[in-house]
Amino acid sequence: MRRVGAVLGGLAIAVALAACGSSGKGPVTVNWYVFPEPSGSFAKAAADCSAASGGKYKIAINFLSNASDQQRQTLVQRLAAGDPSIDILAMDVDWTAEFASAGWIRPWTGANAAAASKGVLPGPLKTATYNGRLWAAPINSNTEILWYRKDLVPTPPKTWGQMIDDAIKLAKEGKPHYIEEQGAKYEGLVVWFNSLVDSAGGGIIGPNGKVIVGPSTKVAAQIMKRLATTAAADPGLNTSQEGPGNNVFDAGNAAFEINYPFVWSGTQSTAPSIFKHMGYAPFPAVVPGTSPKVSIGGYNLGVSSHSQHPQLAFDAVKCLIAPQNQIRDAVKGGLAPVLASIYDEPSFEKAYPFHALIKAQLQDYGIRPQTPAYQDVTLAIQDTLQPASAIDPNNIVSKLRDEIKTALKGDSLL
Amino acid sequence: MSAGVVGPPAAAASSSRPPHRLSDRVRAERKLAFYLVAPAVIVMIAVTAYPIIATIVLSLQKASLDEPGKNTFIGLDNYGYVFTAHLFWMDLIHTAVITVVSVSIELVLGMLLALAMHRVIFARGLLRSIALVPYAIVAVVAAYAWQYSWSLDNGGWIPRLLGLSGDPLSHQFGTYVAIIFTEVWKNTPYMALLLLAGLSLVPDELLEAAKVDGASAWQRFTKITLPLMKPAILVALLFRTLDAFRIFDVIYIFSQGANNTATLSQLSYSTLLERLNLGLGSAVSVVLFLIVGLIAFVFIKGFGAAANPGIETN
Amino acid sequence: MSVKARQRSGWSLAFVVVIVASLVPVFWLLMLSLKTPASATDGSFIPHHWTLDNYRDIFNQSVFTAALRNSIGIGLIATTLAVLLASSAAYAIARLDFPHKQTILAVALMVTLFPQVSLVGPLYNLWRQIGLFNTWLGLIIPYLTFALPLAIFVLSTFFREIPWELEQAAQIDGATPFQAFTKVIAPLAMPGLATTFIIVFLICWNDFVFAISLTATNAAMTVPAAIAQFPGVSQFTQPIGDIAAAAIVVTIPVMVLVLLFQRRIVAGLTAGAVKG
Repeated sequence: MRRVGAVLGGLAIAVALAACGSSGKGPVTVNWYVFPEPSGSFAKAAADCSAASGGKYKIAINFLSNASDQQRQTLVQRLAAGDPSIDILAMDVDWTAEFASAGWIRPWTGANAAAASKGVLPGPLKTATYNGRLWAAPINSNTEILWYRKDLVPTPPKTWGQMIDDAIKLAKEGKPHYIEEQGAKYEGLVVWFNSLVDSAGGGIIGPNGKVIVGPSTKVAAQIMKRLATTAAADPGLNTSQEGPGNNVFDAGNAAFEINYPFVWSGTQSTAPSIFKHMGYAPFPAVVPGTSPKVSIGGYNLGVSSHSQHPQLAFDAVKCLIAPQNQIRDAVKGGLAPVLASIYDEPSFEKAYPFHALIKAQLQDYGIRPQTPAYQDVTLAIQDTLQPASAIDPNNIVSKLRDEIKTALKGDSLL
Repeated sequence: MSAGVVGPPAAAASSSRPPHRLSDRVRAERKLAFYLVAPAVIVMIAVTAYPIIATIVLSLQKASLDEPGKNTFIGLDNYGYVFTAHLFWMDLIHTAVITVVSVSIELVLGMLLALAMHRVIFARGLLRSIALVPYAIVAVVAAYAWQYSWSLDNGGWIPRLLGLSGDPLSHQFGTYVAIIFTEVWKNTPYMALLLLAGLSLVPDELLEAAKVDGASAWQRFTKITLPLMKPAILVALLFRTLDAFRIFDVIYIFSQGANNTATLSQLSYSTLLERLNLGLGSAVSVVLFLIVGLIAFVFIKGFGAAANPGIETN
Repeated sequence: MSVKARQRSGWSLAFVVVIVASLVPVFWLLMLSLKTPASATDGSFIPHHWTLDNYRDIFNQSVFTAALRNSIGIGLIATTLAVLLASSAAYAIARLDFPHKQTILAVALMVTLFPQVSLVGPLYNLWRQIGLFNTWLGLIIPYLTFALPLAIFVLSTFFREIPWELEQAAQIDGATPFQAFTKVIAPLAMPGLATTFIIVFLICWNDFVFAISLTATNAAMTVPAAIAQFPGVSQFTQPIGDIAAAAIVVTIPVMVLVLLFQRRIVAGLTAGAVKG
């Protein structure tokens, strides 16, 4: 009898041990797909969060391509095919509507939503929202301000008209005078246009999805055309993007530059002699006296609908966007944070002397149309507005309205 | 790249009309042939027919990967959008220009290369091997090699050699030139091989006789060699034109169609897999397929290019 | 200079031109692959600073080694399937008499000329629904669309050249049908089979459109697609050195193959009309 008992007891222990062993399998790998962030701050965040999870999950960071288009392409191909190996994805702010409407990302609700939106500036939060629901957690933002040569222009211009006039005057005096803007046929052009339209008090697509292209579009188009056809224009405007435009500024040939904060540390290291005279000011207004609404950029973190570990993914994201990570992303990586509180942090203020400008533009923000057909809409806008020198302000409103309407229906080749 | 072959001889087509009553042997032969050929033909049709039919079906629908499961039938509307789209005609013109220019250059250079491969005896094997390198290289590798050679931003040697100040790849004409250059480099060997086959069939005695009669090299070439090579030239043109019209790899690597150099294949690909518009993209695919078929038809019926130019094997 | 000598020097010049023109881009890639990332865009032909780092780099990342594995595996399987199926068809076409022979060959030829891009849409759509996206099988099946007809075409050309009477002669000499086939016919058929295998494999190795549309990760992405999607080192520069190194690694075996089998490849592509 005792031997039977011992055997049974031994079996019971063995079963219990086996059960314990199988539940202690090790942390679950949560795959995070994101653009290749050069400073390593994202990788550090992933490592820190994995350690802080207490063995529940391990964030594996996977780098996509540099170019936003290619990132979207890779993600879309795999999401539409139901790939279960993507858990967290870094989404450019204008993909939210498309990804949400196609059912590729999970909505953020309840406690998760509260955690992801707590303390986030209104602009970034809006980019992660679609149809009244939160679809992603903002991690970093971006907005363009005016950079100028203090030695050429003692007081920065307050409006676009003023800036172009200043540039023409400088040209007459034979001094460097270009205004660097993004005029190539790509998303940067649409950011420029959209910022002007929003600043003029109008919009492109209304909240109910209707095309509301109107007089503000004409105003915006006139500004773009004026810039492109006067002495203010860099001859390379039609192929100019953020990087090349800044190179021209660094070379000393430009007086003004509309660009993202990366140029501050960029010019500091590449062209110290120019950096000495580099000043910053808010994005110029379109309507004198009315503050501009600049279209914001940045990235939001979404959780894939096909993820096998959604709850762990949500937890991981909540850690990745935590304040200590955002501060490091900003200071080391130059990525503007989305949490309002960070703008008061001394270390951030030191690295970003212009932090007040950025915060203001994220609070009083412009935003590109949030529609699932955004890919088509942006192509239609690029088609119509490029090259900027060929814009005809008299028929631009009707032309753009028709093009966007067709694009929304999905009936045009773009 | 296509590696179609100069046609098989028109031999072995013995009976022109089946006899009224097939003998047992003939019937057994046909039965064996059927079993031997059927698997290949069935697989060939299966893997090709499904995508073709599915493309046609998709082209008649409004279908987008953004809205899966919401396909609606809209008849020929997509074709209407395609044919009224300015972009379609522009891309068609781009494709046509690249095709015509590169194939013409390939024909001339290919003929020269074929003559060289034919005449050179010393290290003939080496010449042919090296000449085949562009043919055998992966298209993507060739595209990168030439893009890095042409692109000023990437430190290319060609802009320096030509003393250019601007980046040739930043505007349309320069990109065209670079693309055509790459295409010609990659495909001239293949063209040369096809022409070489025809060249080998020109009887030397004829050329010798003409030389004795006092004909110059140029006259011998144009009055004897070329006419006798006509079938091979037509086959070479047919294959290369169809190949060039489908160009995709080189354009994708060079520019993804930016700078207004997109071709029809590029348009179809970007509509299907970047804009996720399956209906419209499939319509472009079908149109591309029809145009390719039309070109083949024109060559075969119009110019008399035959898949079997009657080349004999000794 | 005599006419003969002038002619000879003319053709020798042509010889040199061809060699240089064919090899210049390969040489450029080789040089690029040996340059340091900092000097990659300095435009000099010979690197000022040599390094093997690029090669170390690509083999350290799993992307390239996985892509090599995928390309070789998928290429071998697709080519083997195509050649197997095509052999029986080509044997029948070459040896037996039956109607519609020319039609089959013409159809095979036409299928090879089909624009692959036209097939990508529905294939992607179907593959993603039945789980073949990003799998080996998901590439092998589309590869058959061009591998099979090409193999049929090239093989039937080769098989036509085999003197089938030798088989009968061997049997008359006392060999069994099996012996006649294996000892006489098979050796005659091997060169054609080998050449067809090489030509078809090269085409599969070359494919780009199907690879970028139907694969996405190390599981099935082939070399051409992987090269085109090498992650960049920083946000603004292209990984030129890595791409060049990968390109060289992929090109060397191909060049070796061509050098070794030049005669056969030429024969295969010109229906045997051209003698080495």
